[in-house]
Amino acid sequence: MHFYFLYIDPGSGSYILQMIIAAVLGVSFFFKNFWLSIKAFFTGKKVKKEDEKDSVE
Amino acid sequence: MQPHPASYRDTSGFIFKQDGLVYRYVHPAYEMHYAKLMDSGLYDELVKKGKLIAHSEIAGLTTFGFTEGKVLLPEQLPFISYPYEWSFDMWKDAALLTLQVASASLKKDMILKDATPFNIQFYKGKPVFIDTLSFENYEAGKPWIAYRQFCECFLGPLLLMHYCHPDTNKLFTVYPNGIPMEVLVSLLPKRSKWNMNTFLHIHLQAKFSGAKKQKPGTENNFSKQKLELLLKGLDNFVQKLSLKRVKTTWDNYYTDTILGDDYLAAKTALVKSFISQADFENVIDLGANDGHFSRLFDEGKTVIATDADHNCINELYLNIKKEGRSNILPLVYNLTTPSPAIGWANTERESISTRLKADLVMALALVHHLAIANNVPLVLIADWLQPMGDWLVIEFVPKSDEKVKLLLQNRKDIFDDYTLENFREVFGKKYQLIKEEKVGNTNRVLFLMKRN
Repeated sequence: MHFYFLYIDPGSGSYILQMIIAAVLGVSFFFKNFWLSIKAFFTGKKVKKEDEKDSVE
Repeated sequence: MQPHPASYRDTSGFIFKQDGLVYRYVHPAYEMHYAKLMDSGLYDELVKKGKLIAHSEIAGLTTFGFTEGKVLLPEQLPFISYPYEWSFDMWKDAALLTLQVASASLKKDMILKDATPFNIQFYKGKPVFIDTLSFENYEAGKPWIAYRQFCECFLGPLLLMHYCHPDTNKLFTVYPNGIPMEVLVSLLPKRSKWNMNTFLHIHLQAKFSGAKKQKPGTENNFSKQKLELLLKGLDNFVQKLSLKRVKTTWDNYYTDTILGDDYLAAKTALVKSFISQADFENVIDLGANDGHFSRLFDEGKTVIATDADHNCINELYLNIKKEGRSNILPLVYNLTTPSPAIGWANTERESISTRLKADLVMALALVHHLAIANNVPLVLIADWLQPMGDWLVIEFVPKSDEKVKLLLQNRKDIFDDYTLENFREVFGKKYQLIKEEKVGNTNRVLFLMKRN
């Protein structure tokens, strides 16, 4: 049933590609957050982590 | 009931026009997704934040010729603009809005099933998502179905404007369903590969495009966390993109040129006095440049400010956004190559000439560019302006003017008809000439006219 509304072609390889991208971004956000927490430790300021930001302001 | 020509792709429903109003029909098979949008609080949240167009459900299906489903009446938009008429930061805000709507949906266990800029309109100074039927129940384990569409429809044009030239937004007229990956990689400079995000979302994806189709049913392991990461990553990437700086003739037109302050002050005063004698609700400002004259109108009047120069329109958009002005819609519009009617059977997206109508039209310091720089005879200019609006404020710039001399510097003067007398005569056939006055101490003449 759910295929009924999938009226656009997601493109071949889109699934694997999204897996790769999510993995790369996961690693990059991990290091970014790691760096932010080191910075926060030394500056004493609380920095909002990447995944805590709300994109719908 | 005849669906709108642009509303044939998605089987969830369609939009149609009746008695001058635009309605949206919801197909019974889509109703469970629609119910979730409404019941989960997602609709209220997005509408409250001005991110989604509001609608009301209309009773009496049979009056529209339906026996089942739902009919919605969305908030009516005064003007429909198309992405190839937007400047860079308008595209950027539209892309960010799409991602914001997608991640807000995910929090309520829904997902956007498509990601095209045609789902977005600029209304009251801000982008708003207009496709109420884009929301669908999120199924655990599924990747984002609209990911490639987002890349081809948003990232592609944004990256071309970032790496190549602002005017590449026009390429979307040729590829309104998204710029194909292979076209994108052939246009983007090689160095773009060194940007991690451009590499992943474009170059790598282009490689994958030729890959074999997957077996259905193998895609069920993409966690929600990964999906959130993907959306977040795209959001971060888009936020960082900027428009390639290209120097144009029209940068700082008013501040740098010989015309200077006196001319501008005199013209402003004249325009103000002319428009106070006209009766209008909405305005088209053709050749608006930095929007100086568009700003003369208070918030009660809506103004569409157009210019062929991408930088001018982008600056204007950023400025009105900063100021919080909601009555000006800036659009990139090259009068000599206007947006055509495109899409299936040339009926999906209307041409800009069909859409652009207002009570008052302003054409300031414009006629000489059309008549001299582009060889358009005065009579054709009058023919084109007349159907656009009742009132016309137009400036005639004679051959004795420095700017016109500049245009004629390197070419033969073949424009014997380009005189003030002839201008009066030609426009006098289509309009009633109400006011005519010289601008400051220049030879330029400003007219107020009313359509016959």
